[in-house]
Amino acid sequence: MSETSSPSYHHQKPPFYRDATVVKWLFQLGALALVIFALWFLSSQARDNLAARDISTGFDFLSIDPGINLSEGIDTRPATGGRALWVGMVNTIRLATAGILFATILGLFVGLARLSKNLVVNKLGSVFVETLRNIPLLVQILLYGAILANLGDLQFDSGWDNWVIWSNKGLSVPRVFIADGFYQWVVFMIIGAIAARWAYNRRSRLRDETGQDAYPGFASLGVLGAFAVIGWFIHPIFGWVGNIFGGIEDGISKIPEEALQAVLSILAVVLAVNWIRGFLKSRRTPGGSAHLTDDDKFRIFFAGIGAGLAILVVYVVWPGLSSWIINSSSDLFGVLEDKFGNGRTGGPFGVDRPEVVKPGKFEKYGPSGLTMSLGFAAVFFGVVLYTAAFIAEIVRGGILAVPKGQIEAANSLGMKRSAALRTVILPQALRVIMPPLGNQYLNLTKNTSLAIAVGFSDLVQVGQTVGNQTGKNLSVFAIWMLFYLACSLTISVAVNFFNVRLKIVER
Amino acid sequence: MSTEKIQGTRSDMIVCENVDKWFGDFQALKGITATIAEKEVVVVLGPSGSGKSTWIRCINRLEAHQKGTIIVDGVELTNDLRNIEKIRSEVGMVFQQFNLFPHITVLDNVTLAPKWVRKLPRAAAEERAKELLEMVGIPEQAAKYPGQLSGGQQQRVAIARALAMEPRIMLFDEPTSALDPEMIKEVLDVMRDLALGGMTMMVVTHEMGFAREVADRIFFLESGEIVEVGTPEHFFTNPTEDRTKLFLSQIL
Repeated sequence: MSETSSPSYHHQKPPFYRDATVVKWLFQLGALALVIFALWFLSSQARDNLAARDISTGFDFLSIDPGINLSEGIDTRPATGGRALWVGMVNTIRLATAGILFATILGLFVGLARLSKNLVVNKLGSVFVETLRNIPLLVQILLYGAILANLGDLQFDSGWDNWVIWSNKGLSVPRVFIADGFYQWVVFMIIGAIAARWAYNRRSRLRDETGQDAYPGFASLGVLGAFAVIGWFIHPIFGWVGNIFGGIEDGISKIPEEALQAVLSILAVVLAVNWIRGFLKSRRTPGGSAHLTDDDKFRIFFAGIGAGLAILVVYVVWPGLSSWIINSSSDLFGVLEDKFGNGRTGGPFGVDRPEVVKPGKFEKYGPSGLTMSLGFAAVFFGVVLYTAAFIAEIVRGGILAVPKGQIEAANSLGMKRSAALRTVILPQALRVIMPPLGNQYLNLTKNTSLAIAVGFSDLVQVGQTVGNQTGKNLSVFAIWMLFYLACSLTISVAVNFFNVRLKIVER
Repeated sequence: MSTEKIQGTRSDMIVCENVDKWFGDFQALKGITATIAEKEVVVVLGPSGSGKSTWIRCINRLEAHQKGTIIVDGVELTNDLRNIEKIRSEVGMVFQQFNLFPHITVLDNVTLAPKWVRKLPRAAAEERAKELLEMVGIPEQAAKYPGQLSGGQQQRVAIARALAMEPRIMLFDEPTSALDPEMIKEVLDVMRDLALGGMTMMVVTHEMGFAREVADRIFFLESGEIVEVGTPEHFFTNPTEDRTKLFLSQIL
């Protein structure tokens, strides 16, 4: 800017289209505008096209009777579409949870078998892996379904004395259900868990002081077991807990709607301000001066916009939000008041034995037992065996990834094989195993959607039926996608939690 | 450092008799016969591939020999797992690549084996570990992880870890070969102190200065055979075998 310096050092302000700051802001805002426009364009196009072809969207079918029967689940004659989909979700979650559990255990054993020096065990593991991972899952599910269909017909004397019943309609075992006194017993168990933790700490301190095995794990399990047994009989003494929840329910229902709206808005502003303040702090150099890049300014800008949007949602877009929160949380505490309240003298659990009934022409399983249908079994065996083959390879790879020198170092210190495995090899192998293991859990969960091939009432099968009955196929698609997305994100978060904890510190 | 001192009344710590070891068709050790006395420091020299590391690894059974006898501190190394564990807990080993456990802190590295093998109380194990870290000159690194330390510091932690088991013999398998030149000295200093303290030591190394200064005897190996044995003075100034002379002419 100085006239005296040579011409090449002129600090002239560049034209705006060459000013890096202006250009960055323009691009950022332009991108945002483009996204908003694209979303608006696509949704309006979709709306017009759907209207032109007479395809209806909307979610009103969730509260309308779809008029369908489901083969199995917590409710086989759901009264609403939403209820039907919920039954499907529960079935999918059941299948995925059981599948993940058993696939992990089986995969771990097969993986270790493949590392075994015992030739027979080793080759068995190899055959398991190479066979099961190289046959398509759908083929396996159909095959297991076909094999299981060869079991005998269901009759009144099928199975073993009404404890375990099996037939080509599936397997039924006694069902353990949550009974009257369960919630009060849970209160008892929480106290028991605290006591068990105390016992654990005490025993491990004893071990540290004397060096002798003090079995802290067994001690804490013993304490917890004692509480479980005693609590079984005297849990009604906790009936007063229900009154606490009743008090909370009354308190919440007295909160005025406007107050909650104001609190939510203030919360959004406070969160945004807090975030910005922390962000500025993190950008501050030790000298105390904060130098913000343009990207930093964008972030602060968007944090502010986020808070504004939240307030907009609370007051304009969904004004009923705060009353919904008030009502549902006071309902929740009302339920808790009832569950924990006085007058529940039964045990925490009960057992129902399976039974065979004959309502019409054919025998079928009654509702009392825990029944694993043929479809469930076929999909279950399919995903468990298929995924276990992959998990076995992941486990094997993870253990082989631990450098040989680590095992030699543990050996040279005189550590037993079991101790070295537990303290040196497995902690380092897990670090390698966890990320791909998480992927397998995601795959397994998504693969349960193949249940449609054998007619198991998972979310996809139920959704298909509901969509056909109501014509709201697009809405069903949206629910499917959101559900699987939610499942996958939950698994990802859980796996990441362990990944962070297992990370090795370097530099 | 004279031979009379070695042949005194002290018991023999390591006895090898006609030890043979094959890797497939390749014979790594050919009839190794040697006796190492208590408090003796021997350095094993030889060109690469001569079987130095294999020999030292046979002494705590990281490699199993196939013929001959190895007796360590009066216990013979056989397939008996109890003997192997007993010997390993009395023989410390330091590796070329340190082999520290990267997922636990320096202090935990040093206390792990005493707690799990010797069943030492944690407080006692940590106290001893801090003494050892003090001895190897890095007490302030106890809470760090191995990956945060320099190579020389890691190797000194590895020495402290081996010493924590209170071994009667220490084996060093090329302890300075993976280190930057300026870090070699700090490790050798620790080893020298250990030797002066009366530890029985067997060291595979290429550090001729260390061998000359600290060793009681030098073993020269080539192609799996012991070619020459002698005091450093004899070995460096007046070697008898042609192969030894050739080796020395190449490295000195």
